[in-house]
Amino acid sequence: MTTDLDGCLPQEAYAASLAGFDLMTVHRLAALLRHHPPAEAFHVAAGDLPPTDGLVARVLERDDVRASWRRSAGRRDPAAVWERCRELDLQVLVLGRDGYPELLQHDPQPPPVLFARGDPAALDGRRVALVGTRNATAAGRHIARTLGDGLARAGVHVVSGLARGIDGHAHAGVLEAVTDGAAGRPIAVVASGHDVVYPREHRTLWERVGAEGLLLSEWPPGAVPVAYRFPQRNRLVAALSEIVVVVESRETGGSLITAQMAAERGIPVMAVPGSAISRAAIGVNALLRDGSAPAVDVGDVMVALGLDHTRATPRADDPRVRPRPADVPAYRVCSVKASTVGEVAAALDVSVVEAAMALARLEQAGWLAHVDGWFEVMGSPLACP
Amino acid sequence: MIASIPSATLLGVTGQPVTVEVHSGVGVPGFQIVGSPDAACRESRDRVRAALLSSGLNWPNRRITVNLAPSGVRKAGAGLDLAIAIALLVADEQLPPETVERFAFVGELGLDGSLRGMPGVAPMVACRSDRIAVVPSDAFEQATAIGAVDVRCASNLVEVVSALAGAPWPDPPPRAVAGDDLPPPDLADVRGQPDARLALELAAAGGHHLLLVGPPGAGKTMLAQRLPGLLPALDPVAALEATMVYSAAGVPVPGGGVVRQPMFRAPHHSSSMIAIVGGGSTALRPGEASLAHGGVLFLDELGEFPAHVLDALRQPIEEGVVRVSRATSTATLPARFQMVAASNPCPCGGGAPGECECDVTARMKYFRRISGPFLDRFDLRVSVGAARVDDLLGREQGESTAVVRERVLAARDLAIGRAGKVNAALSADELEMYAPFDHAAESLVRREFEANRLTARGLHRVRRVARTIGDLTGAAETVGVDLLTVALQLRVPFAGSSRVRVA
Repeated sequence: MTTDLDGCLPQEAYAASLAGFDLMTVHRLAALLRHHPPAEAFHVAAGDLPPTDGLVARVLERDDVRASWRRSAGRRDPAAVWERCRELDLQVLVLGRDGYPELLQHDPQPPPVLFARGDPAALDGRRVALVGTRNATAAGRHIARTLGDGLARAGVHVVSGLARGIDGHAHAGVLEAVTDGAAGRPIAVVASGHDVVYPREHRTLWERVGAEGLLLSEWPPGAVPVAYRFPQRNRLVAALSEIVVVVESRETGGSLITAQMAAERGIPVMAVPGSAISRAAIGVNALLRDGSAPAVDVGDVMVALGLDHTRATPRADDPRVRPRPADVPAYRVCSVKASTVGEVAAALDVSVVEAAMALARLEQAGWLAHVDGWFEVMGSPLACP
Repeated sequence: MIASIPSATLLGVTGQPVTVEVHSGVGVPGFQIVGSPDAACRESRDRVRAALLSSGLNWPNRRITVNLAPSGVRKAGAGLDLAIAIALLVADEQLPPETVERFAFVGELGLDGSLRGMPGVAPMVACRSDRIAVVPSDAFEQATAIGAVDVRCASNLVEVVSALAGAPWPDPPPRAVAGDDLPPPDLADVRGQPDARLALELAAAGGHHLLLVGPPGAGKTMLAQRLPGLLPALDPVAALEATMVYSAAGVPVPGGGVVRQPMFRAPHHSSSMIAIVGGGSTALRPGEASLAHGGVLFLDELGEFPAHVLDALRQPIEEGVVRVSRATSTATLPARFQMVAASNPCPCGGGAPGECECDVTARMKYFRRISGPFLDRFDLRVSVGAARVDDLLGREQGESTAVVRERVLAARDLAIGRAGKVNAALSADELEMYAPFDHAAESLVRREFEANRLTARGLHRVRRVARTIGDLTGAAETVGVDLLTVALQLRVPFAGSSRVRVA
């Protein structure tokens, strides 16, 4: 059965509609699109045409799938979905059709349909993923920003997931560099539809990534960020990268899933080392123990990419004013573990007033960050005896 | 015949003079009370009748009308019982009018004729200082706590009648032995926590409101309980006001009738708004904010208090009084307290950054429950770390309350001698005068402003704290960069962690 609109709608519209069906999984969608052109696949899924493939036929034998796909076919009119994609300025990339990124064609689990905003050419450049925990420390956020900025200035594109914490700061760093004219672009893969910004406070970041780089989603407009979509998103972050750098991670978390996905694809994983007693570094330290290469600064990542980092990022001296010798002990206390004024005073056996003064000077000069009463070390460590 | 007897009722923390008029006339026997009595007051008829009969006195079989003047004021409670009984006896000519003319009567009657104390005797007696007050023996201590008033007491109606007839007044009851109150907790019990101790000392010396944020078991409550011990005894005016509040609320004062030492009030976070700021009954009972008058109001688990309860505290914090208005009455209750609040840093109790279970949103949400303006009222906001095991096991005790109190009192004297008030009460103009910045401090303020870490109001608060640090350490007249730095660090923003800002 065909409708009048079938003639004027592109095939991509049907694929876009199918991607939003209830009970549609990556495997089912891939099977449908492997054996049918998208328009035909849509009608098969709707139950109007018989499936030609055994796998699809088996899926359609299930009553719940058949019922909900039929319902979805009624609700998700391809013309309306297509119109929505046009409104949002999205390109719909379908596996096996023109425009689909070559990079993903040979992936073990390629996304059958991708919704893209921005310039897909960004995928042709050198690409490094920067990922990490949402509960980042101030130091971790700073490192993410520095790495993002440094890589972008070296012309490397940065892939990430636009989550809170490390992801967001990595792309914020890239965008700072882009503002200064750097060639590296932000590439983000998100776990919701393009019109469902999550987390909401990243709206500006989200829009700027779409404008300056590439914003990808496997899910059609309107899709909400439900839990199972995040590991799938992480698989794409890994699949799109040449190297995955984990900045901070706890014992479990999405960034370790990304690292796992990268390892399965033979993509090297690097980790930013952290303190052995910091909870935020348990995951990265475990990666290092398992053989990941350490990434201490942009140079390490550049070397791993086989790029000449000395010319790409001239290594400047630390611009921060060196602390007074008397303040160094306070810095040391905080470098072991984030501390309050009282803890520093107790550890050094000085008055609270003295400790507060030392910490304030260190914070002023940029050696420490002050978050909710706690002082953490910032940036590269103080290299003095 | 008509009799008119002075008595009093309670509104908020002040006594309202009431005249009890009784008319005894011919007609069908009956008893009626007019003049806006509340339920407890109207029941007075049954108590008075039983008390008279049990005391061997006659109940007049006539038409009795009791008027409580002024009739527009709503009369609360049973405190008018005694006055009604005496007026009845005078109207029935069982007592000659001239025997009662110098007296005012306050007290509740039992069915057996005994006299019972009730809340608010102190303010009621105070508003009748032109007369000799007759009060129940139970309430004698309360009534005399305010001093300078001629008070007689009796334990039942028979004693009152016979004393009025010429017998000597019964002796007042012996004063309650002040044995059952424990010594106040000592600061020496707090191990380690140098920054929280400093903040507590500053709060005591400058009258600053203090917010303690730290994981469970960090000693926040312990610290707060030790603040009253650091504060000076109440001045006579505040002591009188506080005593009135305690009397009006019917809360016993430990160790004697007068509130001399700052009190510590710690209402639970499930308390209603009326329980905290006052109101409720016809008499507009004072709330916890008033019970903490001159002392410390401790709000544990600040984030768990409903927002409207905290916002209702903003008026007393600014003005030192609570104005409770109802359709028929308005009361101004004293409520000049020092506020100490404690909170966990986040839902899980957390600790250092990166250690807690909660994600950034949960942390921000947790502090968003407390409104910004309320959070702003705290001059001192400190992070209290978990206690260190070395401190807990060590034999070394912290400085004792006595030692710290001496410094606190010296600093308070200095501040009051200079400006006539504690530093927390200094206005912006007075700050210019008494806490001028030096050049380096000015540029620090400029930097903090530019970094968006300081607001205009925040600046004043930090400046007051800096002044207090100066007073405690005996520093110079100007506020230098060091004082300002410490003050800034003792006012942690707690606005949740930073967000990504782009463009």
